Order: sequence, then structure tokens, then C-alpha cells
Amino acid sequence: MTTPLTLSTDQRPDGTAVLTAVGEIDMSNAGQLRDALDRAGDGPLVIDLTSCDYLDSAGLTVLFTHADHIELVAAPLLVPVLRISGLSDLAEVRQAGPEADAAAQ
Amino acid sequence: MDSTRPAGPARDEPDGVLFPGRGEMARRMRAYPWAESALGDPHDWPASLRTACRICLTSRFPMIVWWGPDLTFFYNDAYLPLLGSKHPALGKPGETVWTEIWDIIGPMLASVMSSGDATWSEDLLLPMDRHGYWEETYWTYSYSPLHDDEGVVRGVFTAVSDTSERVIGERRLAALQDLGSQAGRARSAAEASQLVGRALAGAADVPFAAVYLRRPDTGEPVLAATNAPGAPPVPLAAGPGDWPVADVLRTGQPATVTDVARRFEDLPSGGWETTPTEAMVLPLPGELGGPPVGAMVLAARAARALDDAYRSFLGLVAQQTSALINGAVAYQVQQRRAEDLADLDRAKTTFFSNISHEFRTPLTLIMGPLEELRSRVPDTDEATRQELDVIHRNGLRLGKLVNTLLDFSRIEAGRMQARYEPVDLAAFTADLASVFRSAVERTGLAYQVDCPALPHLVHVDQEMWEKVVLNLLSNALKFTFEGGITVSLRPDGDQAVLRIADTGVGVAADEMPRLFERFHRIPNARSRSNEGSGIGLALVRELVGLHGGTITAASTEGSGTEFTIRLPFGRDHLPAGHVADAAAPSMVSAVADPFLEEALRWLPENVPAVGALPAAPPAPAAAGPDTDGPARVLVADDNADMREYLERLLQVRYEVITVADGLTALDTIRADAPELVISDVMMPGLDGLALVAALRSDPRTADVPVLLLSARAGQEAAIEGLEAGADDYLVKPFSAAELLARVRANVELARLRTHHNRWRAALIDSLHEGFFLCDETGAVTEINAAFTDILGYGPDGLPYPAAHPWWPRADTDPEGFRLVSAVFEQLMDQSRGSFVAPVTHQDGHRLWVAASFNEVHDPDTGRRVVVGTLRDITTEHYAGQREQALAAMGLLLSRATSVPQAIEGALHELQRLWRTPRALAVTWDDGDQPTLLSTGPERDWDALPAPLRAEIEALRQRPPLTPTDGAGPAVGVTVEHPQGRLAVWVELGAGRPFSAEDRALLALLCGYLGQALHRVHQSDQQRETALVLQRAILGPARLPAGFAARYEPASRPLEVGGDWFDIVELPDGRTGIVVGDCVGHGLDAATVMGQLRSACRALLLQDASAAQTLTAMDRFAALIPGAICSTVFCGILDPDASRLTYSSAGHPPGILAWPDGRVELLDGGRSYPLAVRPGIERTEASCTVPARATLLLYTDGLVERRRRSVNTGIARAGTVLLAGGEAGVEELATELMTTMAPRDGYEDDVAFVMYRHPAPLDLAFPAESAQLAPVRAALRDWLNRCALTHRAAQDVLVAAGEACANAIEHGHRHAPGEQVRLHAAATVSQLRLTVTDTGRWKDSQPGRNPHRGHGISLMRALMHHVTIEPGSAGTIVDMQLRISS
Repeated sequence: MTTPLTLSTDQRPDGTAVLTAVGEIDMSNAGQLRDALDRAGDGPLVIDLTSCDYLDSAGLTVLFTHADHIELVAAPLLVPVLRISGLSDLAEVRQAGPEADAAAQ
Repeated sequence: MDSTRPAGPARDEPDGVLFPGRGEMARRMRAYPWAESALGDPHDWPASLRTACRICLTSRFPMIVWWGPDLTFFYNDAYLPLLGSKHPALGKPGETVWTEIWDIIGPMLASVMSSGDATWSEDLLLPMDRHGYWEETYWTYSYSPLHDDEGVVRGVFTAVSDTSERVIGERRLAALQDLGSQAGRARSAAEASQLVGRALAGAADVPFAAVYLRRPDTGEPVLAATNAPGAPPVPLAAGPGDWPVADVLRTGQPATVTDVARRFEDLPSGGWETTPTEAMVLPLPGELGGPPVGAMVLAARAARALDDAYRSFLGLVAQQTSALINGAVAYQVQQRRAEDLADLDRAKTTFFSNISHEFRTPLTLIMGPLEELRSRVPDTDEATRQELDVIHRNGLRLGKLVNTLLDFSRIEAGRMQARYEPVDLAAFTADLASVFRSAVERTGLAYQVDCPALPHLVHVDQEMWEKVVLNLLSNALKFTFEGGITVSLRPDGDQAVLRIADTGVGVAADEMPRLFERFHRIPNARSRSNEGSGIGLALVRELVGLHGGTITAASTEGSGTEFTIRLPFGRDHLPAGHVADAAAPSMVSAVADPFLEEALRWLPENVPAVGALPAAPPAPAAAGPDTDGPARVLVADDNADMREYLERLLQVRYEVITVADGLTALDTIRADAPELVISDVMMPGLDGLALVAALRSDPRTADVPVLLLSARAGQEAAIEGLEAGADDYLVKPFSAAELLARVRANVELARLRTHHNRWRAALIDSLHEGFFLCDETGAVTEINAAFTDILGYGPDGLPYPAAHPWWPRADTDPEGFRLVSAVFEQLMDQSRGSFVAPVTHQDGHRLWVAASFNEVHDPDTGRRVVVGTLRDITTEHYAGQREQALAAMGLLLSRATSVPQAIEGALHELQRLWRTPRALAVTWDDGDQPTLLSTGPERDWDALPAPLRAEIEALRQRPPLTPTDGAGPAVGVTVEHPQGRLAVWVELGAGRPFSAEDRALLALLCGYLGQALHRVHQSDQQRETALVLQRAILGPARLPAGFAARYEPASRPLEVGGDWFDIVELPDGRTGIVVGDCVGHGLDAATVMGQLRSACRALLLQDASAAQTLTAMDRFAALIPGAICSTVFCGILDPDASRLTYSSAGHPPGILAWPDGRVELLDGGRSYPLAVRPGIERTEASCTVPARATLLLYTDGLVERRRRSVNTGIARAGTVLLAGGEAGVEELATELMTTMAPRDGYEDDVAFVMYRHPAPLDLAFPAESAQLAPVRAALRDWLNRCALTHRAAQDVLVAAGEACANAIEHGHRHAPGEQVRLHAAATVSQLRLTVTDTGRWKDSQPGRNPHRGHGISLMRALMHHVTIEPGSAGTIVDMQLRISS
């Protein structure tokens, strides 16, 4: 069984494609994320990780391969990982919601 | 553990437990104001001291505990009498109690204290001053170290036994034995007194002794001996005077002198520091209640009180002394009596030899010339011839009378030496009868002799038989005037029957009873002659009796008399030494002459009939007195004519052996010594003088009389011969008469000498003690009857060369052999002495003899011989041995620590004691299966032979302690065994009879054994119970994660105590924690504890709350003796809620160390100890157990210290917990135990439980990526309990996730399905995680797995410390994260 992960693609009102990941991303399901990104094509893509509780290096590796055209929205809990891994240097990372600030205390 | 009790009933109870018992010392211990002493309140004492005191107080064996640097003195009731006036000495420093022996025991105690090695002292002399005088005491004891809980020696434990009575008793016994061994040595009262003085010199218990004897004339006491060298002590001028000896003699009552010191100065002290102060003056009673022979002063050793035992000992000394003196007096009397008897006997012997000499010599001198004269008187001188015949007849008659008298005297003295030869009695009797034929026929009487041959030869002494037949025939002829005489001989069954019947005057019926009476003559009987001595028939009866036959007479007055003689065939009825196998040819001897001569004189026609008789030598007697036949005379002469002449001359009366030279003579004499040697002086080879010298130099022939014949006349020659040792000397030529006279005289003298020897032998035989004579080589050459009685060896085996046959055998009894060999050396080397030695009776049984001996020089040969006497002291010896056996068994059993050890020890003791080949012990278990213990090689019941097994099985039914004989030489006895019956089987060595005393001793020893078995069994059981309990107390074998616990009992030997802890994992994930403490220590407390612990656990598992549990425990504890007042902390931990709910029954508060450095005491929910107020509702409290806090629940032993508030200890424990915040619980528990330990170790039971929240996480999962999410969930959950920030938790989650992912990836690659393990634990400020797999990481080549590189960098970035340890078996990732609170 793989770790529960829901991936959904949407369009923002401005036309930007958004990939929303809900759940956790680890080695067991990083392949699903890769497939979703591949399908999304090479255009600018916002990946919404606000409801993603966990992201490990397998997920990071997928994101790195698409770093040139993605923008990440993450809950404060995930920000340190994105920053430490150096992904935030390659792709734009935005922190979501004030509730995340509280949790980061 | 007792001291943190709340005030109230709990406080009173423990004293009784601390110092149990109702004895005086227990009371004193409880009453003693310890708190004011250096030792302080007993509740604060080290556990080992309290245990030792308790053992001491409850023991009935004298015990002491010395404690602390001053060796403070504790003792029990049994020890109390040993202290004497020093009691009470409780709590005093040891040195002030035993000041006078401190120089001896002080160093011993110090060595135990410093080295920890126990000492053992057996029968050690300790001079004590405990009853107001310097007392001699002996002790057997061991000083054993008393350790505290840390193993440091803090005191000494001593179990003592006062062996003074035994040691001194043995010493006194030895003194009495010394004295007793003097028996029979003294020859006078004065000598006996001196012997007593010498025997008592050096006797410790008789420092001074003086023997006073009464003067025979005035009865005044005169000092006869003392046991001290030099002059007797002189009374002090100013004192009360001399010993009250005269008073004691007057009253006959012993007196005690208590003012000895005022009477005398410097009496000997007997090796003690102070001189005697008391003495007894005792009368020495005479024999058989006669007046006292004297009195004895016996001073008492100042070292011992003159108590009853001492008095009775001194009484025994006096008794022994008087026995010795009386013995000596009796010896003198006996000696005189013996000398008188010897004089009488000598007189009698002299009288008879005088008769023989005085009557027979003149008779011979009459008869010899008379024969000559008769042959010379011409036939024509009829008148002269007739007168000569009258002289001749009367001479013969006189000779017959003398001989008959001699026969009687010999018979009377038992000296008639018969020689019973197998004889054709019919022919011999017919020959004898024919002697009378002519005489009978001349009277006109019919004479019928009817003696057909008998079927067997009959053993008779020919000369005696002659006398029997001739006397009866002459008797018949004398009293018969008409009719006839019939002689008939017939066999009748196993007898030959001789009947001599006449038709004479007969005997009146009223005279018949006196017919055979000596010197009785039938009055007025018509007879052919009035001559007669009245001894003929009496002699006949005696002679027939000597042949084992009977004689009866039947007579009718006026019609005749018939004598019937019955002689048994065979030889069994005759004394073996006098029976000959073959007979000399039987022929009628010269004995017949006088009978016939006499008979013929009665006849009317006085016709001499000598010529009609067979030629017979005219000798009146065949031999001298005391003979058992003619004397053997050896003639040595080189001249054949001379030899023949001498032979002819002598052979009439003697058995003559002739030899032609001295050497042949010597050989012949040595082979069989004759009664006389007649030797020529001049002979080739060995001459007469040399022959005499040779004979005299050999003890066997030294006594043989020698008559030398020499042609040399003159005084010088005679003197030369006599000086050489000849008995007589005769110069040639000599007359036949002179020779015969000298020969006869010498033979008679020799026989007299033999008689003297017999007398001496009889005297020696009459001694009650065994007598022996040893020659220079140690060979025993002479013994008496008592010797044979004692040892079984008779004179027939003499000589007994060394080693004597009664020696113990070197192979079977080397010890006995060694002892006897040493004694033998003493016998050979010393001029006098005495000894005690084991010997073996001829029938094989073991004896102990006491012997004394003296060296003497044989006056004849000048050689050294040893004369000794011995007596059987087996009984005394074994009695002494028995006393020792009892003591040895007692000691051995007191040291036994297990039942088999006690039995085995006892068996060896029995084996040693009775020198048995084997001793067995058998016990039966419940299934009747026997178990064997043996001193032999067999280890198994089945190895025993079946009959023995059956015997032992049968023995089992016997009542205990009743010795039962086995079928073989063995004795069995049963003993009460703690588990039924023990059968003890002792196989006995050959020879030693098992006496009634032995049986009593065996029963006694086995009684000891039985008692010891019960004692040992009890301690065995205690130990076993203790072990079972100990196993129970160790609580859960595996503690749940997060917990650590410690348990250490104070009572070391038992290894259990009253404290306990328990951790109960409840089904809903909560955990019950219990720590409790029962009153007391040791086994009793442990028993209570076990029950409480189980009850508590059961209650918790029933889902009761902490308060409910303790409420129920109140009711439960009320039912268990000893459970009241136990304290318990009962808590239920909910790890999810991080809460602990708890209730305390009088227990010290739990300690909770917060991660922020606070210490919280869990002192809510408190109430009384268990069962103090049964029925009260207990409350409970609850507290948060924050993450990374450490919880400690403990018993008071951990924190309680003497003279310090318990709060100090609790605070200290809190500090230790805080300081150990970074350590794991296990590590921290060890640290706590160490840090809290007092310098000398814990004195009380200690138990505690420690818990760190949360418990570490430990997960194991297969190396599959699908496991990652659930592992993460569990870890997240655990991290929540650790109360981390979300951020920190996320960091840990990611780092752990990376490590797990790596492990899975490697696991997939190398060994799919392998286990991966995640462990996470929290301390106060740190988390630590490890991930372990079985694969290998490739982190040296990150480029090939770029995203793995991300993983490791993430781990390193997120955690403070990461190490990856690749190994052949797998990889361990260790990660740490500091937590800021």
C-alpha cells in the first residue's frame, strides 16, 4: 500500500496551472507526483503543498527536475525542507496561511 | 525502613521485632537507652547489626556480637551465666567487659575486623576474673566477621561454648587414671603414699597434696608423703595452725579449709598465678569399714571454685589413695599368708620325704643285707633261717605300708602321677590272680579265675591295677574260711567289669557304708589275721577312681562279699597327658611280693613261697616320691664295663640310658632331660666338667642334677667338680650302696626342686593379674592362668617370640601396631615402667591392657629377664573413648550446615569410633524410595546386596533409637528424620563385641544426630523458602520500556526482605506501579511481602483504581499476621494522558523530576499504613507526568539515614534525578543506588521503581516502502508525547523518514523483507534515534543516487548529530537532536 496522496490539477483564474497535493509524499508515491508533473507539461506550474504534511527527498528529487518552471506554495512545516534542500533557490517558494505561522512556533 | 513510619501504633511494634523474645537480654536490649549511646537509635542501626542481634537474642546457644570500632558488646541469655558478675555488660566496649583476657582475644578480634577472616579457637585457655577470683576457663569459639551491606567488616559475631568442664574434667580423669595406674606397685603403706605423692606431682587440680598415715602403735598421724618437692610447708606462726588432720581422723568426716592462705605461705599453685585458698582434708578409710588408715590434705587449685564437682574429684583422689594404701597393706598380709602357706607346704613335703628317707632307707638297709644273709645261711640252720624269714616278711610288710601311705599322700596332693597304658586286662589280671593261687589252694578254698579275653585293651596304670587286684585278693583270703574265691572279668557295654567274690564272713549291713573309709576296720570280724591298717580298701577305691572307674561292694553277713569294679574302655575319660599309646609288657612286679608274703603268713602251714614266685628284684620301692614312673638316669662313661655295671646296678629302680662320651650325653640331655646325669669326669671329647658347664649355661638344662664320678680322690678334685656346678661327687671305687644312696638322694632332691618350681608356678597362677616373663629377646617364656584368661594364649604355646601373636596386625590396624611396637621398645630398653596398649585376644577380639614391668636378673644364669603383670582395662578405656565420642559428635553436628552433611559426618564418626568397615544411612522419600549414604564406595541403594536391603527395610519399622542386631556382625538403629525415619546401619569389625554400653552409646549418638538433623533441616527449609520467595520478589522478569527498578534486601544471607516493587501492565495500555514495605526484615517479612504483592497485583489487574486497590489491601492485610502497618504506594500511569493517579498507604512520597529542573513530591492521596484503620475510604491524587520527566517511587531504605531528616534524603534523591536528566533510566538507577548508599552500605531493605516519560519508541518493520507511512504515524505520535515543537517534530520526522527510506531501499536491493528497526528515546534535553538495517549504504557515491544525497544532507541538516555506521551486518544510523524546553 502506498502512502495516501491526492493530486489534482486546476487552473487559476489567471490561467496558471495549479497542481494540488493533499497527503504525504515519500518514496512510495513520489512516482505519482512525477507522473502528474510530466502530464502538466513544461509551462509555469504552481504546486500547492499547503495540505501536504510530509515531503521527503524522493519527492524533492521529482520537484528538482521541474524546478525551472514551478512555483511552490507550502505550509510553514514544509518550508525548512524546501529551503535546506536548496529547492527554494531554484524555484519560488511561498509560505501559505497565517495558521502555519502559529504552528511554526 | 522502620524509621519513617508515622507516629502511633507502628512505632511500638517494631521493637519487638527488632529485639524479639521474652528473655532477659531481649528485654534489656529493648529497654537500653540506645539513642543516648554512640550506636544511636536501633532503627538507625545497620541492617546487619540488627540481624546479628536478632539471631543472637533468639538463639539458645551462647552468642556475642561485637560491633563498631569499640566492639560494643551484645549477648544473649545463654551467654549470661558465662559473664558471671560482669553481667550486665550490654552496650559496653568489649575491652572493658573482658579486660583480663583482652591481650588474648583483642588481637584476634582486631584481625577479624581488619582481614575479614574468621578465627577458630578450640579449648583455648582464657584466665578470667568474673566471680571475684582468677578463674581458669576453656572455650571453643569462632569469631566471624559481620559485614555491612557494602561488604565492609563492621563487627564480629561469636558463638561460644564453654568447654572448661570438659577440659578440666578430662584433666581430672587423667589424674585419677595416673593414680589408678599405681595400683599393685606398692609393697607397703609408706611406699603407696609416696607413689601417690609422685603420681599427683604436677596434677594441676591438686596443687598440693599430703598423705598422713596413722602410726600403728599410737594412731597419731604422721606425714608420709607430699606431691611437692622439698620439705613440707610449715604453718605460719601467726596463723590458725596446721592442717586439721587429727580432727578429721577423730571424726572420720572430711573437712574443708577455707583459710589456707592464713595458715600457709607459698603453697604450690599448680601452675596458676595465685596460690590455693581452699583445701580439703579427707579421711582415708581402712579396708572394710575399719578405722581410717590415715588422712589426706588436698589443696584446691585457685583457678577453680571448690564446687561439688571439685569436691567429688578430691573425694575420688582420696578414695584412690586409700585403695592404694589398703592394697599395699593387703599385699603385705597376703605376702605373709603366702609365705606361711609355703612354709606349711615345705614342712609337709619335708615330712613325706623324711618318711621316705627315714623309713625306706633303713628298710632298704635292712632288706639288702637280709637277702645276702638268707642266701648265705646254710640249709641246716633252720632256726636262723626261720628268724631271718620273719625279719624279711616284716620288712616287706613295713615297706608295703610305707608305700601305701605314700600313695595316699600323693593322691591327696593330686600328685599321683599315673601312666595309663593300653593293657590286655584279662591276661594281666589272670597273671595277678595266679600269684595267689598256691596260697589260696593251700587253704583248701576253691579258687576260680575266669578271665576270657576282652574285646578291647583297657588303659590302666599297671602298678595301680596290681595294687587293686592284690589288695582285693588278699582281703578275700583274709576273711574266707570255707568255700572259695572267684575272680571274673567280663565286658559289659563300654566297660570292663571285674568281680572278686568270696564266701567269707561278709560284712554287716550297718558297716557297709564305712567299708571304703580310710583307717576304718570292721570290728570283731573273724579273720585270718589281726594285722591291717584299714587303708587297703580305701586305697583301692582311690586307685579305681583315678582310672575313671567305680567300685561297689555287695555283702551278706555270714555268706560272703562281692566287689565289682567297672572300668571304661577307651581313653577319653583319662587325663590326656598321662595316657600312653603303647604299653610296656605287662608283668607282675615286685609289688606283689609283700602281698603274697603277708598272705602266706596267715596260712596254717607256714611255708615260705618266695622261691615259687617269679624272680623279682628285692627293692622295696620302684621309685622315689613324686614320680610318674621310674626316674630316668643318664650314665655317661667311656668305659664299657663301668657302663654295664652302673646300668645293672641302677636299672632295678631307674630307667637307665647309657652313652659313651660327653657330646652324646649333651645331645641326649638336650633332647630329653633325664632326672639325673651320672658322668665320669674323664672322657674323650667333652669331659665331665665341660659337660656340667655346658648344661649349666643353657637355661633348659641348667637344673638337671649331675653326679660326677672320678677316679681322683682328694678334696681338690671334689671341689673342682662341685665348682663346675656338679650336684654331687663320688670317688671311685665306691660301693654299690653308696652309689645308690647318692643317686636316690639326688633324684629326690631334683624332684623336690621340681616341686618348688610347681609351688612357684602355683603362686604365680594364683595372681589375679596376668603375669608374664620375657627373656632378652622379648620372647614371653612364662605366663600364668590370668594371662591366659585375659589374652586367650595358654602356656602350651610358650615361648611366644616377639612380635607376639596378640599384637595388633600391622596390615589391618597399623595404629595399634605402632603403639604396641613403641611399648615393646620401652619394655626392652627400660628397667621398669608401665604402659597401656591395645592387644588382640586369641579369639580375635580387641582388648586394652595396662601393664607394668620390672627388669630382674635371673640368679641362676645372670641373664636379664622382664617380669610384668597386666590387667584388662578394656572397659575403662572404652568408657573414656565414649566420653570423647560424645563430645566429638556434638561438635561435628554443631558445625553441620545441611542434613546430608550432618548424616555423613555422623557416619564417619561412628565408623571411626567403632573401627567399623562400613556405616550406612538410609532415608525414604514420600514414595518410599530409599536414599543411601555410605562411608563405603557404594552410592546407590540398589548396589547393596538384597539381604542387607531387606534387613534395613525391616529396621525401618523399629522404634527410634533402639539398636537392633543385624544377622551378621552389624547393628542398626533408627533416628527421627525431619522427613520420616532415618536408618543407621553400622557394620562391626570382627573381634570387638558390641556391648550393652556400646548400644547405649550408639543410641545416644544417634539421639544427638536426630536433634542436629532437625536443627539443620529447619535452616535448610528457611533457605529454600527464602529462595522461592526471592524468585517471586524479583518481580516482573522484564520491565516495560521506560522503567528501571532496583531491589536490595538488608538481610544478606536470606536475600529477601520486606520491601517490594511491582509493575503491572494493564490491558488498556496503562501501567500499575506499586512500591511497598512490610514491617521487619528477613524471612518473616518476606513471607508477608509475597502475599501483599500478589494481592496488590491481582487487584490492579481487576481494573481497580489506586484508591480502591489500597482500600481492598487494608482488608486483606488485616487478615495476614505481620502485614499490619505495611506501607504501600500504588499508582496507575496513563502514558497517553501523561498522568499518574496514585494513592499512598503511609508510604514516603514519590518524586517527580521535571525537565525544567523542578522537583515535585507526590504527597497527595495519603493515608494510614495498611490495616491500621480498616474500613476508611482511601483517596487518590493525580499528577501530570510531563514529557522527559523522571518519576521515582521508592522505599524508605533509600532515603532514610540515621540522625538526618528523611526530607534530606528525599531532596538528595531529587537532585540525583535532576542531575541525571541526560542519562537513560537504567544508567540513572545505578547512579541513584550508588550515590544514595551510605558509607557503610544500606542498612535496610531498598526498593525503587524509576520511570522516564515517555517510554522509548521501538519499532521493527519489513524493509518495504509501504511501511513508511505507518512508521511515520507511530513516530509522530511518540514525538507528540515528547512535547516537541511542531517544527522540531517535523525535522525529526523527516530525518527519520530519510533514514528509514534508505534502509528500505538497501533492504530491497540486497535482502527484501529484512527487518528495519527504529528506536527513539528522549532525555530531558535530547532526542536520540537510531535506524538499523541489514544492508549497505553507498554514501561514498552520492552521484549515482542523487536524491539519496538529498536524503543524507537533509538528515544532517535537520539533526544536530548524525553518524552512519556501515558494517558487514548492516548499517546503523544514529541521529541526535537537542531539545530546548
